[in-house]
Amino acid sequence: MRQEQFIARHQAEWQAFEHWLQTRGELRKALAERNSGQIGDEDIPARYRRLCQQLAIARRRGYSSVVTARLQVLMQRGHNLLYRTPPPRWRRAVEFLLADFPRLVRSEAGCMSAAAVLFVLPLALMFTLLQWFPELVYGVMDPAQVAQLENMYDPAADHHKLGRDSGGDWQMFGFYVMNNISIGLRTFASGLLAGIGTVLVLVFNGISIGTVFGHLQQVGQGDPLWRFVAGHAPFELTGIVIAGGAGLRLGLNLVAPGRQRRIDALVAGGVKGAKICMGVAFMLLVAAFIEAFWSSIPSIPAWIKYSVSALLWSLVLAWLWRGGRDRAEAADAA
Amino acid sequence: MLDTYREVVTPEGVALHLPAAGPVPRAMAWVIDLVIRGAVLALLGIVLGLLGAAGQGLYLVLMFLVIWAYPIVFEAMWNGQTPGKKAMSLRVVATDGAPVGWLPAITRNLLRTVDMLPFAYATGLVASLADGYGRRLGDMVAGTLVVHATQEHDHASAPINRVLAPPMALRPGEQAALVAFGERAPLLTPSRQAELADLVEPLTQARGESGVLRLFGMANWLLGRR
Repeated sequence: MRQEQFIARHQAEWQAFEHWLQTRGELRKALAERNSGQIGDEDIPARYRRLCQQLAIARRRGYSSVVTARLQVLMQRGHNLLYRTPPPRWRRAVEFLLADFPRLVRSEAGCMSAAAVLFVLPLALMFTLLQWFPELVYGVMDPAQVAQLENMYDPAADHHKLGRDSGGDWQMFGFYVMNNISIGLRTFASGLLAGIGTVLVLVFNGISIGTVFGHLQQVGQGDPLWRFVAGHAPFELTGIVIAGGAGLRLGLNLVAPGRQRRIDALVAGGVKGAKICMGVAFMLLVAAFIEAFWSSIPSIPAWIKYSVSALLWSLVLAWLWRGGRDRAEAADAA
Repeated sequence: MLDTYREVVTPEGVALHLPAAGPVPRAMAWVIDLVIRGAVLALLGIVLGLLGAAGQGLYLVLMFLVIWAYPIVFEAMWNGQTPGKKAMSLRVVATDGAPVGWLPAITRNLLRTVDMLPFAYATGLVASLADGYGRRLGDMVAGTLVVHATQEHDHASAPINRVLAPPMALRPGEQAALVAFGERAPLLTPSRQAELADLVEPLTQARGESGVLRLFGMANWLLGRR
């Protein structure tokens, strides 16, 4: 069949499809209205497949780009429509946080444990070392930073809030969101450097936190410090460790892809990492909220702070340990 | 292959030809986005600066969103285009040609952190020059691809109605070239048309304008006009 005959035969069909795309398909609001057009919405997949077939025929027969380019544009528009991103749903987001995220974390238990060790070990080591060799603090921080730190947690000064020099609650909330979530996301992303980036971030964060805690404990300012960090630690520390675990998984998929092609292993790790990062961002957001509005209140007695902290720790751990477990069993049974 | 067209096979088994975008237009799109984001932040800074400490907190939250969420939300919700990509008519698609979803959009934008290393997107530049699809590392891990948004070319049909059968049998490639000439010649100057037509003098047995007309006739014949 010659090109012109081919066009003449199918022209009306293409125009109808294009008209549908313009009037209904590509306008999200049109879906709520009644379809008064020539083609019903339910016919579109079949028409789209016909179009694909016509494009394949046109290519095979060597028709010119007048036909193939036009069909390809139509097909691409149809493709974009049929495979478009579904709008986000709140219910799905809640399900993700309650069930899918803990399951994802558990499915990477090895990487998560490794990340936890990489973070906690330097932290504990620095903390312990500083109790015996207090001068080591100057190897990690310069004297001005140390002085500022001591000022922030000065138990004698009641005029300002815990854990900060100055600044209101909202200001600090903004700062924690910006700073902490960025750190969490970078912890994951730097895993692409064969995991080395993540390892470095975890170890350095462990060292610096261990130094701060160790020094303040050693100079006798432990009380305001512990009262400050107790509230948000369950979300913040676990969040960073989980981001690190996802980063290690990504790096591991690059180094040792196993029985997959390297690129496929990376894509799998990337998708998993993106999901985990959504959960981590949520955890760090909660942490920022607690840190800004609860942890910093100096008047709350220590025993309340520690009880709340214990409660939050058990909540977070129970969430990560049990969350979505019954759903997994239901999915296995089905 | 010099051509940057990449074939992507859709679930229907038809190959989509996607023109992969190189680092230069992408860098320009990034700069446009950077300017837009800078302008938004500056504006927010002025407005929220009036609100004192709470305003500053809100500013930092919004800054976080502008830095991290801006490309993700635009790419996932707006046909794979940030405003900068739209200005450069680029689009992010999945490697199977489908629109980019939330997870790939998140992955590719989080991994910018790595592509930016050690400075000025050097890693991403090397990766996109080495990769046949022009992908940076984040694209590879997310399974995405940046393509030029296709523009419909206005192909005029051959401007005359005359039909002329070619004097000899032509191979498919030659037929395609003739048809393409018939469709694209109207966009060229007459002297360039003649120059091109003179190349196939053995076929047309004519030079200059009459050669051009004969080629148009043959293109019409090949297209099936009678």
